[in-house]
Amino acid sequence: MFDQFATAEPDEAVKLALRRLDEAKARGEGSNLEGVELNEVVVNMGPQHPSTHGVLRLVCTLDGELIKDVIPVIGYLHRSKEKLAEKRTYFQYIPIVDRTEYLASINCEWGYVLAVEKLMGITPPRRAEFIRVISGELMRIASHLVAVGTFVADLSPLGTAMGFYTFRDRELVLDLLESLTGARMMFNYFRFGGVRYDLPDGWIEKCRLFLKKMPKLVDEYEALCSDNAVFLQRTMGKGVITQQDVMDYGITGPNARASGVALDLRRNKPYSVYPELDFEVVVETHGDVFDRYLCRLREMRECVKIVEQCLDMLPNGPFQTGSLRAPYIIAPPPGAVYVGQENPRGEYGTYIESDGSRYPYRLKFRDPCFCNLQLFPKLLTGIKIADAIAVSGSIDLVLGGIDR
Amino acid sequence: MALEVGTNPMSMDAIAAALVEDFGGDLTDVRVQEPDTIVARCDRAALAAVAQRLKDHPQIGYQTLNWVAGVDRMKHFESIYHVYSWKTNTWLQLSVEVPFGTPEVDTVTGVWPCADWHEREAWDMFGIVYVGHPDLRRILLKDDFIGHPLRKDYIDNAENHPHV
Amino acid sequence: MGVSDLRYPKLENFNKPNVITTTADFIFSWARSHSVFPFTYGLACCAIEMLSSGFARYDVARYGMEVFRPTPRQCDLMIVAGTCNEKMAPVLRRLYDQMSEPKWVISMGACATSGGPFYDGYNVVNGVDKIVPVDVYIPGCPPRPEALFQGLLELQGIIQRYKFVAELPEVGAGGDGGRKG
Repeated sequence: MFDQFATAEPDEAVKLALRRLDEAKARGEGSNLEGVELNEVVVNMGPQHPSTHGVLRLVCTLDGELIKDVIPVIGYLHRSKEKLAEKRTYFQYIPIVDRTEYLASINCEWGYVLAVEKLMGITPPRRAEFIRVISGELMRIASHLVAVGTFVADLSPLGTAMGFYTFRDRELVLDLLESLTGARMMFNYFRFGGVRYDLPDGWIEKCRLFLKKMPKLVDEYEALCSDNAVFLQRTMGKGVITQQDVMDYGITGPNARASGVALDLRRNKPYSVYPELDFEVVVETHGDVFDRYLCRLREMRECVKIVEQCLDMLPNGPFQTGSLRAPYIIAPPPGAVYVGQENPRGEYGTYIESDGSRYPYRLKFRDPCFCNLQLFPKLLTGIKIADAIAVSGSIDLVLGGIDR
Repeated sequence: MALEVGTNPMSMDAIAAALVEDFGGDLTDVRVQEPDTIVARCDRAALAAVAQRLKDHPQIGYQTLNWVAGVDRMKHFESIYHVYSWKTNTWLQLSVEVPFGTPEVDTVTGVWPCADWHEREAWDMFGIVYVGHPDLRRILLKDDFIGHPLRKDYIDNAENHPHV
Repeated sequence: MGVSDLRYPKLENFNKPNVITTTADFIFSWARSHSVFPFTYGLACCAIEMLSSGFARYDVARYGMEVFRPTPRQCDLMIVAGTCNEKMAPVLRRLYDQMSEPKWVISMGACATSGGPFYDGYNVVNGVDKIVPVDVYIPGCPPRPEALFQGLLELQGIIQRYKFVAELPEVGAGGDGGRKG
């Protein structure tokens, strides 16, 4: 029964790498060492690998330690979400959207719910909008904590240096979200026209306690890494994303902002109550690995500011538009809509086409990591493997979104 | 040169009028979809030229491609291009009709490099062939997958499930 | 067996359980079950809960299992956390085959147990037990770290039932002679 999996033939990606290697040899290229003929090796990194942050496979053509060519192979987590959308009702699909970018589930749900609300012409009440912003920004903090923690973990030999600190603090955020929504990771919290539950008693006080603590925790992370000579040497000047790359490849999120491009959908294409909130769009200048790390740390501080403002401005009132309490089967009028939303990783877009029935006709996710990953062959060629690990960790990929 | 957002803000109707005027018959059915998207159709023969002109347009300049998607409309396919203009901070959604019989359309990787993987995904899911694509092979499914799953008439075959 | 057999243990006497094999059973299974090296085979969202369980609050080191090795050669336990699809299945099988005996598999989460919320996807494998033999199934989407620990404790129980020598099989009975207990 299991024998058909024992195959020794190279697959398409490896064949492509070998073809490119043959072409390079035919062109008469030499190695990077003087007087040595081309002696490159095609090596597979992944799909099971501790540093690829998921099931990403990189077919690398190596010349010693130098990477000459990288072919990313994805699809190892393709779960046919876009086809499943055509078999599930709009409401049944909300938990599946959660599992797209599983580290930022609330933000993914938000993108989907915004699109359906636009199709239906519903506006949630103000209290629900504020609760959405609060939970979305808390999720952003949790997501950046994982990003920074695993990134620094990749750089260190035994793997878990900063991870312990950031995951400990992520548990604090998840406690808050668990008492709000009932789940630690896949929240299933947003509804069309509001949210599922209102803030429980005492939640605001617990949240404020956490918000008072969070900036000191970010200070702790900065004290751990940002002045460390080895860390700086490994991250400064590496993996530079230029503004031309941002324009050509559609890079969004902290990766683009670290290169000096002030693109933040919460400012440029505001949704929900973001126009009323005062926060800074964190922009760095160099676009290297260190700047992306700094960008995420500073964004965590901005998230704290946003949540504090929301808690101060939180109005009383309903948390869900009355007409959508039950039944939960909706049939939006025919039409198509695209809504982009600022995920912790970039612009997460949902394109929904409805033909008037209970099931979507076409659902397409525009995933930020899918576009960011396209930059890999350009970013990773010509550098050493150790630097490649640092660069790929700083781009912050979540394969659930790339493969959908 | 810093890449900035919204250096030339124009109203949606002004953008629609400018597109109709500059592109004439190539861009048909130009509509404004509130609040910040223009929807238009384009003929597949004219796509390559229109894409380059859209990118190089002096006032509006759609310089970034957001995504490319395929849609199965039961009578024909559609390849949808969603592009972003930094100067006006607006989007344009361009639909190109692709017939079932010869599902071929020109690639836009020469204009927008990030179309590479998006077009591969549309090929993978629908079978739309992008003529001139540097490396059109499956991206999300395994290499020997049979069929194009997001088509409406796709039936899940046993050939794709060797372990069952 | 007489007293002389105990002083000079003969190989042919080792096909029956005796005080040496049962003591060895006890020591080896104590050692094996309390120092399992899991294999980091996190595929999807459940991998994040597996990671969380390895860190400070839900500490998997108290069970001796904090040594998550990325290479199959150094591992006993493969925790398949996440959805396996047709593209990943050969990789899963190959890595399972590369692990050395004795090895165990935990299928963590609804996707690994039965396909989960994606059961009717066109390229989702409905349960990794179609590809590798599974010892413990942990339901949940994702299972909380506490649920993962309950599964790990179940697995410790299974490991502790390993025996060097089989019990005498009953007449006419088939099977593996009670080796796994």
